[in-house]
Amino acid sequence: MFDLRNRTALPAQAGIGLRHPHLPEFLAAPQPAAWLEIHSENYLAPGGPRLGALERLRGDYPLSCHGVGLSLGSAAGLDAAHLARLRYLYDRLEPEAISEHLAWSTAPDGTFLADLLPLPYTDEALAIAAANIERAQQALGRRLLVENPSTYLRFQQADWDEAGFLSELVRCTGCGLLLDVNNLYVSAVNHGSDPQAVLNALPLTAVGEIHIAGHARVATSWGELLIDDHGSPVAGPVWALLAATLRLTGPCPVLMEWDTNIPELPVLLAEAERAEGYLREITGASG
Amino acid sequence: MHLAELQTRMQRMLLSGGGPDPALLALLADTPEQHERRLAVYRNNVRHALLSVLEAAFPVVEQLVGVECFTATALTFIAEHPPHRPVLYAYGVDFPGFLTEFQPLVELPWLADVARLEWARNEALFAAEAEPLAPDQLASIPADKLAGLQLQLHPATQLLESSWPVHAIWAAHQPGGGPLEAVDLQQAETVMVWRQAGTVRQRLLTPGEFALLAACVKQSPLAEAVEAAIQQEPAFDLRIVLARWLNEDVLERPIMTLLTSQTCGGSSP
Repeated sequence: MFDLRNRTALPAQAGIGLRHPHLPEFLAAPQPAAWLEIHSENYLAPGGPRLGALERLRGDYPLSCHGVGLSLGSAAGLDAAHLARLRYLYDRLEPEAISEHLAWSTAPDGTFLADLLPLPYTDEALAIAAANIERAQQALGRRLLVENPSTYLRFQQADWDEAGFLSELVRCTGCGLLLDVNNLYVSAVNHGSDPQAVLNALPLTAVGEIHIAGHARVATSWGELLIDDHGSPVAGPVWALLAATLRLTGPCPVLMEWDTNIPELPVLLAEAERAEGYLREITGASG
Repeated sequence: MHLAELQTRMQRMLLSGGGPDPALLALLADTPEQHERRLAVYRNNVRHALLSVLEAAFPVVEQLVGVECFTATALTFIAEHPPHRPVLYAYGVDFPGFLTEFQPLVELPWLADVARLEWARNEALFAAEAEPLAPDQLASIPADKLAGLQLQLHPATQLLESSWPVHAIWAAHQPGGGPLEAVDLQQAETVMVWRQAGTVRQRLLTPGEFALLAACVKQSPLAEAVEAAIQQEPAFDLRIVLARWLNEDVLERPIMTLLTSQTCGGSSP
Protein backbone atom coordinates (compact mmCIF):
# COMPACT_ATOMS: atom_id res chain seq x y z
CA MET A 1 0.00 0.00 0.00
CA PHE A 2 2.80 2.44 0.88
CA ASP A 3 6.11 2.86 -0.92
CA LEU A 4 8.71 2.08 1.74
CA ARG A 5 11.79 2.12 -0.49
CA ASN A 6 12.87 5.54 0.75
CA ARG A 7 12.50 4.86 4.46
CA THR A 8 15.51 5.33 6.69
CA ALA A 9 16.66 2.80 9.28
CA LEU A 10 14.88 4.83 11.99
CA PRO A 11 11.89 3.06 13.54
CA ALA A 12 8.47 4.24 12.32
CA GLN A 13 7.73 5.51 15.82
CA ALA A 14 7.80 8.83 17.67
CA GLY A 15 11.19 10.14 18.81
CA ILE A 16 12.29 13.34 20.52
CA GLY A 17 14.97 15.96 19.95
CA LEU A 18 17.65 15.43 22.61
CA ARG A 19 18.49 18.75 24.28
CA HIS A 20 21.19 19.54 26.87
CA PRO A 21 18.84 20.09 29.86
CA HIS A 22 17.54 16.51 29.53
CA LEU A 23 20.95 14.79 29.28
CA PRO A 24 21.19 13.99 33.02
CA GLU A 25 17.80 12.19 33.01
CA PHE A 26 18.79 10.13 29.97
CA LEU A 27 22.12 9.23 31.57
CA ALA A 28 20.45 8.30 34.87
CA ALA A 29 17.81 5.91 33.48
CA PRO A 30 16.34 4.61 30.21
CA GLN A 31 13.60 6.96 28.93
CA PRO A 32 10.54 5.99 26.88
CA ALA A 33 11.74 7.61 23.65
CA ALA A 34 11.75 5.31 20.58
CA TRP A 35 14.64 7.24 19.04
CA LEU A 36 16.61 10.48 19.42
CA GLU A 37 17.66 13.32 17.19
CA ILE A 38 20.50 15.74 17.86
CA HIS A 39 21.61 18.96 16.22
CA SER A 40 24.93 17.87 14.72
CA GLU A 41 26.56 21.29 15.26
CA ASN A 42 26.13 20.94 19.04
CA TYR A 43 28.50 17.96 19.04
CA LEU A 44 31.37 19.12 16.83
CA ALA A 45 33.67 20.24 19.66
CA PRO A 46 36.79 18.10 20.13
CA GLY A 47 35.55 16.66 23.44
CA GLY A 48 33.77 17.37 26.69
CA PRO A 49 30.91 15.94 28.75
CA ARG A 50 28.12 16.52 26.20
CA LEU A 51 29.87 14.54 23.47
CA GLY A 52 30.73 11.90 26.08
CA ALA A 53 27.06 11.66 27.11
CA LEU A 54 25.92 11.29 23.49
CA GLU A 55 28.44 8.52 22.85
CA ARG A 56 27.12 6.68 25.91
CA LEU A 57 23.46 7.09 24.82
CA ARG A 58 24.12 6.23 21.20
CA GLY A 59 24.16 2.49 21.91
CA ASP A 60 20.74 2.59 23.56
CA TYR A 61 18.67 4.61 21.04
CA PRO A 62 18.39 4.83 17.26
CA LEU A 63 19.80 8.21 16.25
CA SER A 64 19.12 10.86 13.65
CA CYS A 65 21.69 13.66 13.15
CA HIS A 66 20.11 16.92 12.07
CA GLY A 67 22.51 19.52 10.67
CA VAL A 68 21.68 23.18 11.06
CA GLY A 69 24.80 24.74 9.56
CA LEU A 70 25.76 23.20 6.22
CA SER A 71 23.90 25.87 4.24
CA LEU A 72 22.77 23.81 1.23
CA GLY A 73 21.53 26.99 -0.48
CA SER A 74 24.86 28.86 -0.40
CA ALA A 75 25.75 30.38 -3.77
CA ALA A 76 29.43 30.07 -2.81
CA GLY A 77 29.19 26.30 -2.28
CA LEU A 78 29.78 24.25 0.84
CA ASP A 79 32.45 24.65 3.52
CA ALA A 80 34.90 21.76 3.05
CA ALA A 81 36.12 21.95 6.65
CA HIS A 82 32.56 21.74 7.95
CA LEU A 83 31.81 18.75 5.73
CA ALA A 84 34.91 17.05 7.13
CA ARG A 85 33.82 17.75 10.74
CA LEU A 86 30.36 16.33 10.04
CA ARG A 87 31.83 13.24 8.35
CA TYR A 88 34.03 12.60 11.37
CA LEU A 89 31.03 12.85 13.73
CA TYR A 90 28.81 10.67 11.53
CA ASP A 91 31.50 8.01 11.15
CA ARG A 92 31.81 7.86 14.94
CA LEU A 93 28.06 7.79 15.63
CA GLU A 94 26.83 5.87 12.54
CA PRO A 95 23.38 7.52 12.72
CA GLU A 96 20.31 5.87 11.17
CA ALA A 97 19.58 9.11 9.27
CA ILE A 98 21.20 12.48 8.56
CA SER A 99 19.44 15.65 7.44
CA GLU A 100 19.89 19.32 6.50
CA HIS A 101 17.59 22.19 5.48
CA LEU A 102 16.54 23.73 2.19
CA ALA A 103 17.93 27.14 3.24
CA TRP A 104 21.15 29.11 3.44
CA SER A 105 23.09 30.35 6.49
CA THR A 106 26.53 31.18 5.12
CA ALA A 107 26.97 34.32 3.01
CA PRO A 108 29.39 34.40 0.05
CA ASP A 109 32.13 36.01 2.21
CA GLY A 110 31.92 33.12 4.70
CA THR A 111 29.91 34.93 7.39
CA PHE A 112 27.69 32.45 9.25
CA LEU A 113 24.30 33.98 10.04
CA ALA A 114 23.03 31.29 12.44
CA ASP A 115 19.56 31.16 10.90
CA LEU A 116 17.82 29.25 8.10
CA LEU A 117 17.39 31.92 5.45
CA PRO A 118 15.02 31.66 2.48
CA LEU A 119 15.99 30.90 -1.12
CA PRO A 120 14.32 32.27 -4.23
CA TYR A 121 12.93 29.21 -6.01
CA THR A 122 14.68 29.94 -9.32
CA ASP A 123 16.44 27.66 -11.80
CA GLU A 124 19.75 29.19 -10.66
CA ALA A 125 19.07 28.36 -7.00
CA LEU A 126 17.91 24.87 -7.98
CA ALA A 127 21.19 24.17 -9.79
CA ILE A 128 23.18 25.50 -6.81
CA ALA A 129 21.21 23.53 -4.20
CA ALA A 130 21.37 20.33 -6.29
CA ALA A 131 25.14 20.63 -6.73
CA ASN A 132 25.58 21.30 -3.00
CA ILE A 133 23.40 18.32 -2.02
CA GLU A 134 25.30 16.02 -4.37
CA ARG A 135 28.61 17.21 -2.96
CA ALA A 136 27.36 16.78 0.62
CA GLN A 137 26.09 13.26 -0.01
CA GLN A 138 29.42 12.34 -1.56
CA ALA A 139 31.54 13.95 1.17
CA LEU A 140 29.41 12.52 3.99
CA GLY A 141 29.12 9.10 2.36
CA ARG A 142 25.40 9.01 3.15
CA ARG A 143 22.05 9.97 1.69
CA LEU A 144 20.70 13.27 3.00
CA LEU A 145 17.15 14.03 4.00
CA VAL A 146 16.40 17.66 3.07
CA GLU A 147 13.88 19.56 5.20
CA ASN A 148 11.26 21.98 3.92
CA PRO A 149 11.84 25.31 5.71
CA SER A 150 9.62 27.71 7.63
CA THR A 151 9.64 30.94 5.66
CA TYR A 152 8.48 34.46 6.41
CA LEU A 153 9.08 36.04 3.01
CA ARG A 154 9.06 35.00 -0.60
CA PHE A 155 10.78 36.37 -3.67
CA GLN A 156 8.97 37.57 -6.79
CA GLN A 157 11.50 35.77 -8.97
CA ALA A 158 10.33 32.15 -8.95
CA ASP A 159 10.48 29.38 -11.53
CA TRP A 160 9.09 26.85 -9.05
CA ASP A 161 6.87 26.66 -6.01
CA GLU A 162 8.48 25.09 -2.94
CA ALA A 163 6.97 21.63 -3.48
CA GLY A 164 8.10 21.61 -7.13
CA PHE A 165 11.57 22.79 -6.13
CA LEU A 166 11.89 19.98 -3.55
CA SER A 167 10.56 17.41 -6.03
CA GLU A 168 13.26 18.44 -8.52
CA LEU A 169 15.97 18.17 -5.85
CA VAL A 170 14.79 14.66 -4.94
CA ARG A 171 14.74 13.68 -8.61
CA CYS A 172 18.15 15.18 -9.48
CA THR A 173 20.14 14.17 -6.39
CA GLY A 174 18.41 11.10 -4.98
CA CYS A 175 18.11 12.85 -1.61
CA GLY A 176 15.16 12.12 0.66
CA LEU A 177 12.67 14.52 2.19
CA LEU A 178 12.46 15.42 5.85
CA LEU A 179 8.88 16.64 5.95
CA ASP A 180 8.44 19.18 8.75
CA VAL A 181 4.67 19.37 9.10
CA ASN A 182 4.88 22.42 11.38
CA ASN A 183 7.09 24.24 8.86
CA LEU A 184 4.68 23.34 6.09
CA TYR A 185 1.78 24.80 8.08
CA VAL A 186 3.71 27.93 9.20
CA SER A 187 4.87 28.73 5.65
CA ALA A 188 1.44 28.05 4.14
CA VAL A 189 -0.27 30.43 6.58
CA ASN A 190 2.46 33.06 6.18
CA HIS A 191 2.05 33.02 2.41
CA GLY A 192 -1.68 32.46 2.18
CA SER A 193 -1.48 28.94 0.71
CA ASP A 194 -3.59 25.89 1.49
CA PRO A 195 -1.49 23.46 3.63
CA GLN A 196 -3.28 20.40 2.27
CA ALA A 197 -2.59 21.48 -1.32
CA VAL A 198 1.11 21.98 -0.51
CA LEU A 199 1.21 18.56 1.15
CA ASN A 200 -0.35 16.89 -1.88
CA ALA A 201 2.25 18.50 -4.19
CA LEU A 202 5.28 17.25 -2.22
CA PRO A 203 7.29 14.17 -3.27
CA LEU A 204 5.82 12.09 -0.44
CA THR A 205 7.38 8.79 -1.51
CA ALA A 206 10.76 10.35 -0.63
CA VAL A 207 9.79 11.15 2.98
CA GLY A 208 12.25 9.49 5.35
CA GLU A 209 11.37 11.37 8.52
CA ILE A 210 8.68 13.76 9.78
CA HIS A 211 9.10 16.66 12.22
CA ILE A 212 6.47 18.29 14.42
CA ALA A 213 6.90 21.26 16.79
CA GLY A 214 5.09 24.24 18.23
CA HIS A 215 4.95 27.72 16.72
CA ALA A 216 4.13 31.23 17.94
CA ARG A 217 1.51 33.55 16.46
CA VAL A 218 2.03 37.30 16.18
CA ALA A 219 -0.47 39.89 14.99
CA THR A 220 0.53 42.17 12.12
CA SER A 221 -1.19 44.98 10.24
CA TRP A 222 -2.34 42.51 7.55
CA GLY A 223 -3.14 39.48 9.69
CA GLU A 224 -1.36 36.77 11.62
CA LEU A 225 2.29 35.82 11.08
CA LEU A 226 3.37 32.43 12.44
CA ILE A 227 6.87 32.10 13.90
CA ASP A 228 8.52 28.68 13.98
CA ASP A 229 10.02 29.00 17.48
CA HIS A 230 9.73 25.37 18.69
CA GLY A 231 8.66 26.85 22.02
CA SER A 232 5.24 25.36 22.80
CA PRO A 233 3.07 22.25 22.35
CA VAL A 234 2.09 21.28 18.81
CA ALA A 235 -0.88 23.35 17.57
CA GLY A 236 -4.21 21.71 16.72
CA PRO A 237 -4.04 22.33 12.95
CA VAL A 238 -0.53 20.81 12.86
CA TRP A 239 -1.77 17.62 14.57
CA ALA A 240 -4.52 17.43 11.94
CA LEU A 241 -1.95 17.93 9.18
CA LEU A 242 0.24 15.20 10.73
CA ALA A 243 -2.69 12.79 10.61
CA ALA A 244 -3.34 13.72 6.96
CA THR A 245 0.36 13.29 6.17
CA LEU A 246 0.59 9.84 7.74
CA ARG A 247 -2.48 8.71 5.81
CA LEU A 248 -0.52 9.55 2.64
CA THR A 249 2.97 8.36 3.62
CA GLY A 250 2.14 5.41 5.81
CA PRO A 251 4.16 4.59 8.94
CA CYS A 252 7.14 6.92 9.25
CA PRO A 253 9.54 8.09 11.98
CA VAL A 254 8.03 11.21 13.63
CA LEU A 255 10.14 13.59 15.73
CA MET A 256 8.93 16.03 18.38
CA GLU A 257 11.19 19.12 18.53
CA TRP A 258 11.25 21.66 21.36
CA ASP A 259 14.06 24.26 21.42
CA THR A 260 12.98 27.39 23.29
CA ASN A 261 11.31 27.45 26.72
CA ILE A 262 12.34 23.79 26.90
CA PRO A 263 9.91 22.00 29.26
CA GLU A 264 10.46 19.15 31.70
CA LEU A 265 11.20 15.88 29.93
CA PRO A 266 7.75 14.31 30.70
CA VAL A 267 6.01 17.15 28.82
CA LEU A 268 8.14 16.48 25.76
CA LEU A 269 7.60 12.71 26.02
CA ALA A 270 3.84 13.26 26.29
CA GLU A 271 3.86 15.14 22.96
CA ALA A 272 5.79 12.27 21.41
CA GLU A 273 3.27 9.80 22.87
CA ARG A 274 0.45 11.74 21.23
CA ALA A 275 2.29 11.46 17.88
CA GLU A 276 2.66 7.74 18.56
CA GLY A 277 -1.14 7.61 18.79
CA TYR A 278 -1.47 8.93 15.23
CA LEU A 279 1.08 6.35 14.08
CA ARG A 280 -0.93 3.55 15.75
CA GLU A 281 -4.05 4.68 13.89
CA ILE A 282 -2.19 4.33 10.60
CA THR A 283 -0.71 0.96 11.48
CA GLY A 284 -4.14 -0.23 12.56
CA ALA A 285 -5.69 1.06 9.34
CA SER A 286 -3.09 -0.54 7.09
CA GLY A 287 -2.65 -3.76 9.05
CA MET B 1 19.94 39.43 -9.51
CA HIS B 2 22.20 36.42 -9.03
CA LEU B 3 21.87 34.38 -5.85
CA ALA B 4 25.34 35.37 -4.61
CA GLU B 5 24.48 39.07 -4.74
CA LEU B 6 21.10 38.47 -3.10
CA GLN B 7 22.80 36.62 -0.24
CA THR B 8 25.43 39.34 0.22
CA ARG B 9 22.76 42.06 0.32
CA MET B 10 20.63 40.07 2.74
CA GLN B 11 23.62 39.45 5.03
CA ARG B 12 24.31 43.21 5.19
CA MET B 13 20.71 43.97 5.93
CA LEU B 14 20.45 41.34 8.68
CA LEU B 15 23.68 42.17 10.50
CA SER B 16 24.30 45.87 10.11
CA GLY B 17 20.76 47.03 10.78
CA GLY B 18 21.45 49.83 8.31
CA GLY B 19 18.82 51.47 6.14
CA PRO B 20 16.60 49.53 3.75
CA ASP B 21 18.18 48.17 0.57
CA PRO B 22 15.87 49.15 -2.31
CA ALA B 23 17.45 46.62 -4.69
CA LEU B 24 16.74 43.81 -2.23
CA LEU B 25 13.25 45.01 -1.33
CA ALA B 26 12.37 45.11 -5.03
CA LEU B 27 12.91 41.33 -5.16
CA LEU B 28 10.40 40.51 -2.43
CA ALA B 29 6.87 39.28 -2.99
CA ASP B 30 3.99 40.67 -0.89
CA THR B 31 3.08 44.32 -0.52
CA PRO B 32 5.77 46.85 0.51
CA GLU B 33 4.16 47.56 3.90
CA GLN B 34 4.72 43.89 4.85
CA HIS B 35 8.42 43.78 3.95
CA GLU B 36 9.92 45.27 7.08
CA ARG B 37 7.84 43.07 9.41
CA ARG B 38 8.74 39.92 7.49
CA LEU B 39 12.46 40.80 7.32
CA ALA B 40 12.40 41.60 11.05
CA VAL B 41 11.68 37.93 11.85
CA TYR B 42 14.96 36.91 10.25
CA ARG B 43 16.86 39.83 11.82
CA ASN B 44 15.56 38.85 15.26
CA ASN B 45 16.42 35.18 14.69
CA VAL B 46 20.02 35.98 13.71
CA ARG B 47 20.56 38.35 16.64
CA HIS B 48 18.85 36.11 19.15
CA ALA B 49 20.83 33.03 18.08
CA LEU B 50 24.21 34.77 18.37
CA LEU B 51 23.28 36.73 21.50
CA SER B 52 22.27 33.46 23.23
CA VAL B 53 25.69 31.97 22.47
CA LEU B 54 27.46 34.97 24.06
CA GLU B 55 25.11 35.00 27.07
CA ALA B 56 25.83 31.32 27.69
CA ALA B 57 29.61 31.83 27.43
CA PHE B 58 29.85 35.08 29.46
CA PRO B 59 27.25 34.92 32.27
CA VAL B 60 29.40 36.79 34.83
CA VAL B 61 30.20 39.62 32.39
CA GLU B 62 26.44 39.90 31.85
CA GLN B 63 25.82 40.11 35.60
CA LEU B 64 28.59 42.71 36.01
CA VAL B 65 27.23 45.15 33.43
CA GLY B 66 23.53 44.26 33.54
CA VAL B 67 21.36 42.58 30.90
CA GLU B 68 20.57 45.76 28.97
CA CYS B 69 24.19 46.88 28.68
CA PHE B 70 25.34 43.34 27.86
CA THR B 71 22.79 43.07 25.07
CA ALA B 72 23.82 46.39 23.53
CA THR B 73 27.52 45.51 23.82
CA ALA B 74 27.04 42.01 22.41
CA LEU B 75 24.97 43.30 19.46
CA THR B 76 27.77 45.74 18.58
CA PHE B 77 30.24 42.86 18.78
CA ILE B 78 28.00 40.63 16.62
CA ALA B 79 27.70 43.33 13.93
CA GLU B 80 31.48 43.89 13.87
CA HIS B 81 32.64 40.29 14.44
CA PRO B 82 30.03 37.85 13.10
CA PRO B 83 30.99 34.17 13.16
CA HIS B 84 32.81 32.69 10.20
CA ARG B 85 32.28 29.04 11.07
CA PRO B 86 28.96 27.22 11.46
CA VAL B 87 30.10 25.84 14.83
CA LEU B 88 28.98 28.14 17.59
CA TYR B 89 30.77 26.64 20.61
CA ALA B 90 33.82 28.54 19.32
CA TYR B 91 31.98 31.85 18.80
CA GLY B 92 33.06 34.49 21.30
CA VAL B 93 36.83 33.93 21.31
CA ASP B 94 37.28 37.57 20.22
CA PHE B 95 34.79 39.02 22.72
CA PRO B 96 37.32 39.62 25.57
CA GLY B 97 39.63 41.54 23.20
CA PHE B 98 36.65 43.52 21.92
CA LEU B 99 35.77 44.50 25.51
CA THR B 100 39.30 45.87 26.05
CA GLU B 101 38.74 48.37 23.24
CA PHE B 102 35.03 49.07 23.78
CA GLN B 103 34.87 52.74 24.84
CA PRO B 104 31.55 52.69 26.78
CA LEU B 105 33.04 50.13 29.21
CA VAL B 106 36.59 51.52 29.72
CA GLU B 107 35.71 52.39 33.32
CA LEU B 108 35.58 48.66 34.09
CA PRO B 109 39.21 47.80 33.21
CA TRP B 110 38.95 44.29 34.75
CA LEU B 111 35.91 43.34 32.66
CA ALA B 112 37.93 42.00 29.70
CA ASP B 113 39.97 39.73 32.00
CA VAL B 114 36.80 38.37 33.60
CA ALA B 115 35.65 37.62 30.03
CA ARG B 116 39.01 35.87 29.38
CA LEU B 117 38.41 33.71 32.43
CA GLU B 118 34.91 32.82 31.23
CA TRP B 119 36.31 31.99 27.78
CA ALA B 120 38.95 29.75 29.41
CA ARG B 121 36.05 27.91 31.09
CA ASN B 122 34.38 27.53 27.68
CA GLU B 123 37.63 26.17 26.20
CA ALA B 124 38.00 23.74 29.10
CA LEU B 125 34.42 22.48 28.63
CA PHE B 126 34.87 21.61 24.94
CA ALA B 127 38.57 20.59 24.84
CA ALA B 128 39.63 17.18 23.53
CA GLU B 129 39.58 14.14 25.79
CA ALA B 130 42.91 12.80 27.04
CA GLU B 131 44.04 10.40 29.74
CA PRO B 132 45.26 12.29 32.81
CA LEU B 133 48.73 11.48 34.11
CA ALA B 134 48.48 8.93 36.93
CA PRO B 135 50.78 8.70 39.99
CA ASP B 136 52.09 5.22 39.10
CA GLN B 137 53.07 6.41 35.63
CA LEU B 138 55.08 9.22 37.10
CA ALA B 139 56.60 6.85 39.66
CA SER B 140 57.70 4.49 36.86
CA ILE B 141 59.99 7.13 35.36
CA PRO B 142 63.59 6.48 36.48
CA ALA B 143 65.09 9.15 38.71
CA ASP B 144 67.84 10.04 36.22
CA LYS B 145 65.20 10.83 33.55
CA LEU B 146 63.11 13.14 35.72
CA ALA B 147 65.19 16.28 35.14
CA GLY B 148 64.65 16.05 31.38
CA LEU B 149 60.95 15.14 31.61
CA GLN B 150 58.53 17.47 29.82
CA LEU B 151 55.23 17.57 31.68
CA GLN B 152 52.19 18.09 29.39
CA LEU B 153 49.12 20.02 30.45
CA HIS B 154 45.83 18.19 29.78
CA PRO B 155 44.16 19.73 26.66
CA ALA B 156 41.42 21.17 28.90
CA THR B 157 43.83 22.89 31.32
CA GLN B 158 44.04 26.67 30.85
CA LEU B 159 46.25 29.24 32.61
CA LEU B 160 45.33 32.88 33.11
CA GLU B 161 47.50 35.70 34.49
CA SER B 162 45.67 38.92 35.31
CA SER B 163 46.44 42.28 36.93
CA TRP B 164 42.97 42.03 38.48
CA PRO B 165 41.32 39.66 40.98
CA VAL B 166 39.36 37.84 38.26
CA HIS B 167 38.85 34.63 40.24
CA ALA B 168 37.50 36.56 43.24
CA ILE B 169 35.18 38.64 41.02
CA TRP B 170 33.96 35.47 39.30
CA ALA B 171 33.43 33.66 42.62
CA ALA B 172 31.40 36.60 43.98
CA HIS B 173 28.91 36.03 41.13
CA GLN B 174 28.32 32.33 41.80
CA PRO B 175 25.42 31.08 43.93
CA GLY B 176 26.44 31.55 47.56
CA GLY B 177 29.36 33.81 46.60
CA GLY B 178 30.37 36.70 48.86
CA PRO B 179 29.69 40.37 48.10
CA LEU B 180 31.67 42.01 45.30
CA GLU B 181 32.45 44.90 47.68
CA ALA B 182 34.65 42.55 49.71
CA VAL B 183 36.96 41.96 46.71
CA ASP B 184 40.25 43.91 46.77
CA LEU B 185 40.39 45.26 43.22
CA GLN B 186 44.16 45.96 43.50
CA GLN B 187 44.98 42.25 43.80
CA ALA B 188 46.61 40.57 40.77
CA GLU B 189 45.78 36.86 40.35
CA THR B 190 46.93 33.78 38.43
CA VAL B 191 44.19 31.24 37.80
CA MET B 192 44.03 27.68 36.49
CA VAL B 193 40.89 26.34 34.78
CA TRP B 194 40.63 22.61 34.11
CA ARG B 195 38.15 19.80 33.61
CA GLN B 196 37.76 16.89 35.97
CA ALA B 197 35.20 14.11 35.51
CA GLY B 198 33.34 16.25 32.97
CA THR B 199 33.08 19.30 35.26
CA VAL B 200 34.94 22.58 34.69
CA ARG B 201 36.86 23.69 37.79
CA GLN B 202 39.08 26.66 38.60
CA ARG B 203 41.33 27.84 41.43
CA LEU B 204 44.08 30.33 42.20
CA LEU B 205 47.66 29.28 41.55
CA THR B 206 50.64 30.16 43.74
CA PRO B 207 53.40 32.09 41.88
CA GLY B 208 55.54 28.92 41.85
CA GLU B 209 52.74 26.76 40.42
CA PHE B 210 52.04 29.31 37.71
CA ALA B 211 55.74 29.59 36.80
CA LEU B 212 56.12 25.80 36.58
CA LEU B 213 52.95 25.27 34.49
CA ALA B 214 53.85 28.19 32.20
CA ALA B 215 57.29 26.57 31.69
CA CYS B 216 55.58 23.25 30.86
CA VAL B 217 53.49 25.01 28.20
CA LYS B 218 56.79 26.19 26.67
CA GLN B 219 58.01 22.55 26.71
CA SER B 220 60.81 23.29 29.18
CA PRO B 221 62.38 20.23 30.85
CA LEU B 222 61.27 19.69 34.44
CA ALA B 223 64.59 20.81 35.98
CA GLU B 224 64.35 24.22 34.25
CA ALA B 225 60.66 24.54 35.09
CA VAL B 226 61.33 23.87 38.78
CA GLU B 227 64.10 26.46 38.76
CA ALA B 228 61.65 29.02 37.37
CA ALA B 229 59.15 28.06 40.08
CA ILE B 230 61.66 28.43 42.92
CA GLN B 231 62.69 31.82 41.58
CA GLN B 232 59.08 32.99 41.96
CA GLU B 233 58.44 31.10 45.21
CA PRO B 234 61.53 30.15 47.30
CA ALA B 235 59.55 27.65 49.42
CA PHE B 236 58.20 25.84 46.33
CA ASP B 237 57.92 22.07 46.98
CA LEU B 238 57.61 20.03 43.78
CA ARG B 239 56.42 16.84 45.50
CA ILE B 240 53.47 18.54 47.20
CA VAL B 241 52.47 20.42 44.06
CA LEU B 242 52.75 17.37 41.79
CA ALA B 243 50.65 15.28 44.16
CA ARG B 244 47.94 17.95 44.06
CA TRP B 245 47.99 18.23 40.26
CA LEU B 246 47.79 14.47 39.81
CA ASN B 247 44.83 14.44 42.15
CA GLU B 248 43.18 17.20 40.09
CA ASP B 249 43.83 15.61 36.64
CA VAL B 250 45.47 18.78 35.26
CA LEU B 251 48.35 16.94 33.52
CA GLU B 252 48.14 14.66 30.52
CA ARG B 253 49.49 11.14 30.37
CA PRO B 254 52.45 11.23 27.98
CA ILE B 255 52.33 9.23 24.75
CA MET B 256 52.86 5.56 25.66
CA THR B 257 55.87 4.96 23.40
CA LEU B 258 57.72 7.86 24.99
CA LEU B 259 57.06 6.56 28.47
CA THR B 260 57.97 2.99 27.49
CA SER B 261 61.25 3.98 25.86
CA GLN B 262 62.16 6.02 28.91
CA THR B 263 61.37 3.10 31.18
CA CYS B 264 63.30 0.66 28.97
CA GLY B 265 66.21 3.04 28.67
CA GLY B 266 66.40 3.24 32.45
CA SER B 267 66.40 -0.53 32.99
CA SER B 268 68.87 -1.49 30.26
CA PRO B 269 72.47 -2.10 31.35
